[in-house]
Amino acid sequence: MTLSFTGADWNAIAPIDVLAATGLAVLLADLVAGRKQSRYVSIIIGLVGVLVAAVVAGRQFGHEYDAFFGGFMTGGFATVFEEIVLIGTAGSLLLYSTMGAASRVPGTVAIMLWSACGAMLMAGAANLIAIFLGLELLSLGLYALCAAVDRKTARESALKYLILSSTATAFLLFGAALLFGATGSVMLADLLNPSLASNPVFWMGAGMFLIGLVFKLSLVPFHTWTPDVFEGAPLPVTAFMSVVTKAGALAVFARFTYAALPAGVASKLLLPVWIVAGISMIVGNVGMLAQRDLKRLLAYSGIAQIGYIVVALAGGTPLGLRYAIYYLMAYAFMNLGAFAVAASISGPNEEGSELSSYNGLARRRPWLAAAMTVFLLALSGLPPTAGFLGKILILAVTVANGYIWLAAALIAGTAISLYAYAKVIRAMYAPEDGRHEGDLRPFVPLAWASAAVCAIAVIAMTFYPLTPSNVLPLVR
Amino acid sequence: MPLVLVSILLPLAAGALLLMLPRSDRALSRLLGTVVAAITFGTVWLAGTRDWSFHWLSRPFVSAFHFGATPVSFWIALLLALCTACAIAACRVERTRDFVALLLALEGTMLGLFLSRDLLVFALFWDLMLVPVFFALVGWGEHPATAWRYFIYNFAGGLTLLLATAAFGVIYGTTDVIGLPGVSLIGGWAPWIFAGFAFAFLVKTPVWPLHTWMPPTYAGLPSAMTSVVSGVQSKAGLYGFLAIATAMMPAALYRYATPLIVLALISLVYGALIALVQNDVKRVVAYSSLSHLGLIILAIASGNRLALDGALVYIVAHGLFSAVLFLVLGYVEEREETRSLPQLGGLGWSNPRLSGALCIAALAALGLPGLAGFAGELLILIGVYQNGYVWPANVALVAIVLASAYMLRLYQGIMNGPQRKDLPVRADLTWIEGLAVAPLLAALVLVGVYPKPLLDNAVTTVQSGPIP
Repeated sequence: MTLSFTGADWNAIAPIDVLAATGLAVLLADLVAGRKQSRYVSIIIGLVGVLVAAVVAGRQFGHEYDAFFGGFMTGGFATVFEEIVLIGTAGSLLLYSTMGAASRVPGTVAIMLWSACGAMLMAGAANLIAIFLGLELLSLGLYALCAAVDRKTARESALKYLILSSTATAFLLFGAALLFGATGSVMLADLLNPSLASNPVFWMGAGMFLIGLVFKLSLVPFHTWTPDVFEGAPLPVTAFMSVVTKAGALAVFARFTYAALPAGVASKLLLPVWIVAGISMIVGNVGMLAQRDLKRLLAYSGIAQIGYIVVALAGGTPLGLRYAIYYLMAYAFMNLGAFAVAASISGPNEEGSELSSYNGLARRRPWLAAAMTVFLLALSGLPPTAGFLGKILILAVTVANGYIWLAAALIAGTAISLYAYAKVIRAMYAPEDGRHEGDLRPFVPLAWASAAVCAIAVIAMTFYPLTPSNVLPLVR
Repeated sequence: MPLVLVSILLPLAAGALLLMLPRSDRALSRLLGTVVAAITFGTVWLAGTRDWSFHWLSRPFVSAFHFGATPVSFWIALLLALCTACAIAACRVERTRDFVALLLALEGTMLGLFLSRDLLVFALFWDLMLVPVFFALVGWGEHPATAWRYFIYNFAGGLTLLLATAAFGVIYGTTDVIGLPGVSLIGGWAPWIFAGFAFAFLVKTPVWPLHTWMPPTYAGLPSAMTSVVSGVQSKAGLYGFLAIATAMMPAALYRYATPLIVLALISLVYGALIALVQNDVKRVVAYSSLSHLGLIILAIASGNRLALDGALVYIVAHGLFSAVLFLVLGYVEEREETRSLPQLGGLGWSNPRLSGALCIAALAALGLPGLAGFAGELLILIGVYQNGYVWPANVALVAIVLASAYMLRLYQGIMNGPQRKDLPVRADLTWIEGLAVAPLLAALVLVGVYPKPLLDNAVTTVQSGPIP
């Protein structure tokens, strides 16, 4: 067999190419741009690149093509996840308008764009090699990004992430190797063979593969790294990890559960995952209660939120996948919005990540406080936000699939989470106690715009619940 | 734009616009707020039962932003608009502008709840109406813990409501069902779904033992907000029972009738007994609410048509007199700077108008014939007797007698007796303050003398046939 790729193969990964080239463009522009402009030049070039990539990816929607001999599938599923990755990337890039030392911004922006390439690859990856490639590309960039600030906690965060993430990757890789051993093929589609159900190597491989994924999704019991890594990493990187990494991992997880498991196997193999998701909803929300740092709070919140999304996939129905994607999209906007507000009230020292800096924010910055309220209400599932609609959709599909206990866990977790989110709202609106009266950060157009767009998106998604309808056939 | 939509959006928009006014402004925001609430009264009245719908979801179940009064919710919506207008006119708090904006937001979200014809939209506004009260408790409450208690209790109720709504939608295929004749949910899931709804409704009403959020909330909020929350928001659960539980799941309701009656009776008696010994005047009324609303739960659980009609009358009556009571107690607290019954006394000498307002409201609360409370109580008791619940009706009668005791204790403790030397003597009600409670008092008399309009419509919508 000769390996020859056609133009269509290259077209399929065109969005990834655009993003990769943008990273190079950012570095080149830094050579030309003056020291003062380099920050904004990098961000703007990055945003333009993301926008172009989004358009290129959007044009592929509905055009199914198995590029690279089925290694990368375009169509609906990949496009949707690519768009979410791009939204997450754009939202994180914007945060560099207040964050970090100016001299480092171009480099970090470029690395972030390349990391996003990995997540985009995961969105379309349909064989084990492509999945691994995407995951590694995503993670390698993140190790550097986590450490890209002069702070002891950042280096600690990077090291922790490196070690734990490598462990997860090792599981994933070992699992992939066993799956290959069981089937003699790296294609996910070849796992659909029902005779595999009696093959212990397959069970072991699939189990280890799932452990690797659950680790990346940071579900209980593999969640403990998340708060520490999130806390230490720079704010934009935290935002990136909370949205993009999870979107990539979720794409792989969804494709694996929907398109790679024989029907009889799926219900048995995945039951532990649903249980783990149910526990994550409780543990994540309980973990939030005592936090004093926004990044830690959102780390725990993310553990629970990903639990909600994974629960939607229980039962393996097309509707479940649609609602998982809907909630993921909503989650991306809520999280990015919250981080944008945090960046807007932060200086170089990231004051915005301390919850105490939100005391009396409504007096100082009423619009930011209002936006933050929208995001927190959305995270806790209160109307009129996409969080509310997402929850009811997930509840409906969970009940319809017969997983009533998961629905109950979701309800219990949500009830717990309210206190943690509303605590921040309370702090913003409680009558002023005099602290933090003086430090009013200047108006930052990009971060404010990001918060505004996210707030509008979170509310608009409630009334126009766009869930891509023809995604499932394209998972394959 | 359809009037029913105007009714909901106008207060919300006006509340948001108020925030653009200068922060120091007091009179203008009160005036605007009162006018807006009065206009919504008009639009609700004019809209009648005409409805308006906007498609929302087609999967996993059909759902629409479908608004329109049912003959039951029509009266509650009017009550809400009236109470809000009076509360805004009467409110005197710091940061008036923000407070009025919250009251308007509360009105808008609650109108959305009562006027929604879709279960999912009902659930949406159920959660949404908690937010303004939470903000009020944060900004003006007496104790931070109260805000949590209120929010978390009611949010938990909202979540079971949400789960029940989701299950209802999945099983029935659509949630666009409120006020629709012939909707009935049967099957093995129905009791569970009913339980989900009922938990939310019982928390909101509240009923013993889910009431612990209520006394601190009612006491801690500024009186103007309390009058709306106690007068109307507490009716959301009862309205839910009438419009959802009774109308769509009568069999499940019948199945749970005994535990509901037991809870109702405990609330009736327990609330009355606590009200008898409470010293905080606002808590007296709060516990009296627990007792009075227990009577309505009893009526609903009995499943008798007459009792259900009585329930609607009593819902309106209780809304009116508890709103007046809280507003008047707010005036008292403002004048004497205390809410403690032993410290108060003899105010009637210097404040005859204040005394008169409290007197009428207290008499309505204890069920004096000719005032609204009596009409509702009578119908409920007759209905409950009719369906053979003799003992529950007897117990309820005892509680109603206790109501006279604690209401008279409240009135006498504040107004009668010798003039106290240690209390400041302040001027009687100003004409604005008087005007703020006058419409409510007039409505109390009107409903008491002529409750027929409420009864005419109620039977047709609360489609509770003879329950098996």
